Amino acid sequence: MSLHSISLTVNGTKYTREVPSRLTLADFLRESLDLTGTHLGCEHGVCGVCTILVNGRLARSCLMLAVQADAVEIRTIEGIGSEGMLHPVQTAFWQRHGTQCGFCTAGFVITAVELFERENSPTRDEVLDALGGVLCRCTGYVKIVEAVDEALESRRDTPGTATEPGEPNVR
Amino acid sequence: MSGEPRKLVGRRVPRKEDKRLLLGHAQYVADIKLPGMMHASLVRSPYAHARITAVDTGACSDDARVAAVLTGEDVRHVPPLPSADAEPTAKQFLQPILATDKVRYVGEPIAIVVATDRYVAEDVATLVRVDYDVLPAVVSPADALAADASILHFDSNVADVWRFSVGDRERLKYAPHRLRRSFKTQRFAGTPLETRGVIADWDQARERLTVYTSTQVPHFVRDIVAAYLNLPQSAVRVVAPDVGGAFGAKIQPYNEDILIALLALQLKRPVKWIEDRYEHFVASNHGREQIHDIEVAYDDDGVIRGLSDDIITNAGAYLQAFTFADASCAVLTVRGPYRIPVFEASATTVVSNKTPLNPFRGVGMAQAAFAIERTMDEIARERGLDPIDVRLKNLLGSAELPIDREVPMTFQGSVIDSGDYAPALLRAKELIDYSVFREQQARLRTAGRYLGIGFGAYIEKTALGPFEASSVSVDTSGTVTVLSGAGPSGQGTDTTLSQIVADELGVPIEDIRVIHGDTDRVPYGVGTYGSRMAAVGGTAVRLTGRKVREKAISIAAELLEASDADLELVDGKAIVRGSPSHFVSLGDIARAVMPGSPLPAGVTEYGLGASEVFVPAAEAFAFGTVAATVEVDMETGVVTPLRLVMVGDSGTIINPLLVEGQYQGGLSLGVGGALLEELVYDDQGQPVSCNFMDYLMPQVDSIPEIILDHTITASPLNPDGIKGAGESGAIAPPAAIANAVSDALSPFGISINETPITPSKVYDLLLEAGLLRRSGDAGSAVEDGRDARG
Amino acid sequence: MKPVEFDYVAPESLALALDALASDGDARPLSGGQSLVPLLNFRLAQPSLLVDLGRITELAGIRDEGGRVLLGAMVRQQDVLESELIRERCPLLQEAIRHVGHPQIRSRGTVGGSVAHADPAAEIPAAVLALGGAIHVVGKVGRRRVEANDFLRGAFTTMLQGGEIVAAIEVPTRRPRSGCACVEVARRAGDYAVCGAAAEIALDQDRTIAAVSVALFGVSDRAVLVCECEGDLVGSDGADVDIEAAALSAARAAHGRDDINGSAEYRRHLAGVVTRRALVRAVERANERMVT
Repeated sequence: MSLHSISLTVNGTKYTREVPSRLTLADFLRESLDLTGTHLGCEHGVCGVCTILVNGRLARSCLMLAVQADAVEIRTIEGIGSEGMLHPVQTAFWQRHGTQCGFCTAGFVITAVELFERENSPTRDEVLDALGGVLCRCTGYVKIVEAVDEALESRRDTPGTATEPGEPNVR
Repeated sequence: MSGEPRKLVGRRVPRKEDKRLLLGHAQYVADIKLPGMMHASLVRSPYAHARITAVDTGACSDDARVAAVLTGEDVRHVPPLPSADAEPTAKQFLQPILATDKVRYVGEPIAIVVATDRYVAEDVATLVRVDYDVLPAVVSPADALAADASILHFDSNVADVWRFSVGDRERLKYAPHRLRRSFKTQRFAGTPLETRGVIADWDQARERLTVYTSTQVPHFVRDIVAAYLNLPQSAVRVVAPDVGGAFGAKIQPYNEDILIALLALQLKRPVKWIEDRYEHFVASNHGREQIHDIEVAYDDDGVIRGLSDDIITNAGAYLQAFTFADASCAVLTVRGPYRIPVFEASATTVVSNKTPLNPFRGVGMAQAAFAIERTMDEIARERGLDPIDVRLKNLLGSAELPIDREVPMTFQGSVIDSGDYAPALLRAKELIDYSVFREQQARLRTAGRYLGIGFGAYIEKTALGPFEASSVSVDTSGTVTVLSGAGPSGQGTDTTLSQIVADELGVPIEDIRVIHGDTDRVPYGVGTYGSRMAAVGGTAVRLTGRKVREKAISIAAELLEASDADLELVDGKAIVRGSPSHFVSLGDIARAVMPGSPLPAGVTEYGLGASEVFVPAAEAFAFGTVAATVEVDMETGVVTPLRLVMVGDSGTIINPLLVEGQYQGGLSLGVGGALLEELVYDDQGQPVSCNFMDYLMPQVDSIPEIILDHTITASPLNPDGIKGAGESGAIAPPAAIANAVSDALSPFGISINETPITPSKVYDLLLEAGLLRRSGDAGSAVEDGRDARG
Repeated sequence: MKPVEFDYVAPESLALALDALASDGDARPLSGGQSLVPLLNFRLAQPSLLVDLGRITELAGIRDEGGRVLLGAMVRQQDVLESELIRERCPLLQEAIRHVGHPQIRSRGTVGGSVAHADPAAEIPAAVLALGGAIHVVGKVGRRRVEANDFLRGAFTTMLQGGEIVAAIEVPTRRPRSGCACVEVARRAGDYAVCGAAAEIALDQDRTIAAVSVALFGVSDRAVLVCECEGDLVGSDGADVDIEAAALSAARAAHGRDDINGSAEYRRHLAGVVTRRALVRAVERANERMVT
């Protein structure tokens, strides 16, 4: 069984570890780095609760192997906001009651943060398309969508980020 | 009036418990790591029905990676999983902890192995060799009841038959109209996003077992684990950490809870098992599968004279803790909020080679609402009446309540405590823009578009007993600690209970700590299910908080030399009304009654705290109406829900923000049930939809616009007048949506009498009605090629 | 579940990757992982060696070659969706990818991986087929170019021989005055199609249909071209009756398959419906293009 050395940055911190080939990235984060905020809901690649950011793009961490994460930059829920200062997405989720059991929350927050950080405001379709990639059994999605809308609205009010609502995002 | 601080009960308070969930600091069972911890993997039956002829763990014993292995032989002495309400004759249907002679469903556990991590545990699980003699599978109730049916257990596939009747059948003799229909509700998997999981840790030095388990019922788990392992209850601590949703799938101790505990004792090391998603579909209890054969006798104007209902519940292979709840709740609620003076029902529960059935959010009530609400619309259609008018004619008036439905049931009452059904129905009609919709519907029909509208009135048994326990205490820092027997999985228990205590003690919500889910800290408890947390758990806390309030005031009165009546609790202090500088803090009140100093005059006990057990006299019945509009694509059969309205009555609401969340979540589960979800089994008893690609959970795009409203009919059964809200949203959507689709297709005489309403089924109905041309017959069917070569 | 043990390499050159794949009969290439890793997690796939194609620069990038566009096998689906070049030159590919999963899938999933995986209900192979595209295959023995129609053989089955991988997808630049559409019936947004059609129409100067191409997916064991549509539509002005005839041809030609989402019969029926809807939209868009 091969062990591979990987060096990666997670939430701004550099880690170098030896990992077996078959260890999934989700398990690496959870077990090797003790970053248990990213959850496993299916390992089929459908439920999205394991969603993280890999080099700024959304990815299902259950569908990547740790060995594939050499030289990448990863952000997980632990890297979003802090005790003293919540990210606007987290604040919106809190105020709007977008969280019930919390198990899917990391998946939605990471997805919403990616939308929030796009240079051009995402369109409604893009927002729903992105949120469609994470499942929730508790909320019925209503307050999650309200929270994401509110966070994106608040971003729009920030000077320097305004674009026409509905403009498609082209990178 | 003196400035009475605004009460928190009734306000939209954002949750206290959210920060750690939002920051990724929550701790679910899978997140817990203990030193020396090992991991288990189960060997599960690949067959629906088979005799086990051999279990060979020889390869495991030879393999250094295997720390332990248990088979059915090793645990023969352990009692089967417990089942409430089971007649002595039902003992044959109880589930062994590990299969011994037979397996009776795909996924039934046969052996368990332990290794250093889950990857290796799964590797070594393949070393266990099991030989089977495959037997014919019993899949449907018809299979189970057939004369030559393969018998799963001892002598019968019928676990229970129960008959009930009320009212005088004679009155039905000259009823001008009758109709008979059969309504089918499908089998569900609970599918919380967090699967089950358990860690057991045996502390040899202290002779104590700690079990961390994702459960709704920590005390139930504690009692069974202790009993089954022959340990005193005080030697077993069960902790429910953060629980990622439950919906009934975590409502009892399971085989794995017992097995992991046994292994921890054996290995003297912590052992962990996390259910993976595929396992969840076969290893965690399923919900609902039930048929209602309805016959109804009614008058020209749609007034129902009598109803009979033959109910068959497909319980799967074994009875679980509450398997009969689907039958009993269905019998209790199939008359809905309607008068129906003559009623008879039979409820047959059969076993089959499927995963066992247990309560799932809306247990029995959703299937019953489907049956009666579809019946209402069928009556309306037969008589050319408006479906809302038919309902209004049959609805019980508020003055007719309380009404005893006279259904004798253990653990449950059958008196509907209060309700006012018509206003909720009429409000739903208003919110869904009924008349405007009818105009739109007529107009669009001429353009070949078929939209429909449907209603589902529901009643919901909530606030289940038998009791809930709580303690409230104040420490010398003025922090209030609340202990509750609740077992939450996302309902916002901490915040809800804190609101109540904050109001009683005048303490800011941040100074209240709520502890639950730990049998060491909370001596008694029942847990979170049956829409009971606010009504029963909250009432326990209210009563306890009140006691502490009274104590605090009388102690403060001594300390401040004032009279009780002059004092109020505000902002963590007891203050003399009108004289704000004349106060003592709650912390100091607590200090005044600490042992070690003399008690103030008139005070007889130490400590500022109280405990209560609230035993509700009966269940409280919530109710409401769901209305749905849909469009049916007449070419593809796809049903698109357009709008959902829910007017719910859960009595007094503690936190409207949280209740909205419960209603919306329930509605989405209901939409899933109406249109998407089904645990499909083939005729060999193989589960076909047991992954998230095939078992279709609602996504964000599956849910239409939702409009919510409330009526408030306080329950007389607790001081706040609270009724439950947890299952409300989940009950009526299949009924309302099926009614809407039937309404859309009524010009063609099509009725929807089963769920899920899949595009393929709608296509079949359209074809049958002659609305579609059969596609060309050239081209043969090709077998589904979903094989492993991807 | 967790995967079985396997070895892993991530070579930086195509040659090394092909060596690795040739060296072991149970070696499998890893592209986006969105189809393969679930199979690993289910233990339905048990390779002895995974050859990660992610570092191979020859497999990356979208190349404009005038009359055609070449997409490296490892081009991520999301990148195709956002590409101006693709929008201009072969928009049907984007129309199809809009239906694929969600951004979480598309940011990792690749066009080459999708075509190699050949799920009967996948959109990308059908779009490539409808576009008259070709697959560039490479193995130790060398490169070859296979017409998409010949490449897809059956459910999860392609012309790839042992040790071969998809190197690139080639799609022709769209004809002038063309319009395209991808229409599918799926249970939820982003799900695999129960049945879908990818269609492209090109108009003559006089707005009659000069060329038509329709590929069905989800209905059968692989994406299929519905050649019969040409007879119904070439020369027509796109009138309803002609499109209806084309739809009927599609339904008749389709070989349906049964699964829990529907019977073969249902799928054949849907084939007609999605074909008609896709053609109507394609004709509309082609006409719109002529106006602008």
